Amino acid sequence: MHEVSIIGDLFQIIEEQIIENKLKKITKVVLSVGEFTCVEEEALRFAFQAYAQDTLVEGAQFVIEKIKATAYCQQCSSSFEVSFTNKICPTCGAYSSKILTGYELQLESLEGEEDETDFSKEEYTSNK
Amino acid sequence: MKQILVKKNILQTNDEIAERNKGIFSEKGIFTINFLGSPGAGKTSVLEQMILKLKNQVNMAVIEGDLYTTKDAERIENHGVEVLQVNTGGACHLDAAMIEEAIQHIELNEVQFLIIENVGNLVCPASYNLSEDMKVTVLSITEGNDKPLKYPSMFQRSEVLIVNKIDLIEFTNFSMDELYQDVYSLNQDIKIFEVSCRTGQGIEELCQYFSEKIKLKGEK
Repeated sequence: MHEVSIIGDLFQIIEEQIIENKLKKITKVVLSVGEFTCVEEEALRFAFQAYAQDTLVEGAQFVIEKIKATAYCQQCSSSFEVSFTNKICPTCGAYSSKILTGYELQLESLEGEEDETDFSKEEYTSNK
Repeated sequence: MKQILVKKNILQTNDEIAERNKGIFSEKGIFTINFLGSPGAGKTSVLEQMILKLKNQVNMAVIEGDLYTTKDAERIENHGVEVLQVNTGGACHLDAAMIEEAIQHIELNEVQFLIIENVGNLVCPASYNLSEDMKVTVLSITEGNDKPLKYPSMFQRSEVLIVNKIDLIEFTNFSMDELYQDVYSLNQDIKIFEVSCRTGQGIEELCQYFSEKIKLKGEK
């Protein structure tokens, strides 16, 4: 798919989180990718390194969590693992097209160091 | 060290815009399809056949997506149907933002059937929600019956499969049995139509199917 533009969008979200949470460095980024999502892991990692260079994310650990595809059986209400070519409920044998998981492309979590500068202190507010 | 639980969908921007577009289409009762397939599968040709059969009963509008040229839009325009060409210049799929922009330039009041003909591509368009009611994929005989398993996401996510150029089947080793088997293994609920734009075979049934869907959407 579009690994570079996906990482571009990811970094936009990271930037928002840095500002919102007053971070001065990112040490870990966790991205969840569903089994049915068409992305290539190596290309994602390559793009991530390129985007991270010279930013607060440089050197951060990039974890890609693979999410298994599951479906919901409307016949017997159970959830079960599926693949592209097998969506048969192992409990009752019915076919299910109700995909529950597998299409994810989500920034799960971030780890970072907070900026402890207290901008309310006099040295930052007085006119010198 | 701070841990932040973010849980944000990377494609959320596209999905948010798609929701907005979908709201507009629902409000106006417009049945919308995301029309997909490889370059040369026959998307525009099938669309032209559908226009010939439907344009006197149904108010149609088309958004054409291509990297370059207005060739496809010109073909649709020649049938007297309102059409807008979107040139992506490089992007290999349409996205919701392009559709949001496109509908600013189309008279949507009175439109009952909107066809968004996507860029020819069996990979990327599957992942980008365009606020359609359904994805319709065109596969031609000359592409071979092995394509569904090679591009599973597209076929898994489509509600309709149009097998085009069936008049050429005798000149190829295309196996219709294998195609049905493979497609149903990905998606048991998919509706398959076998058509030929040259002979007209199957076009009537295809149009009847969409007429029903258009009517239902309009009633909602």
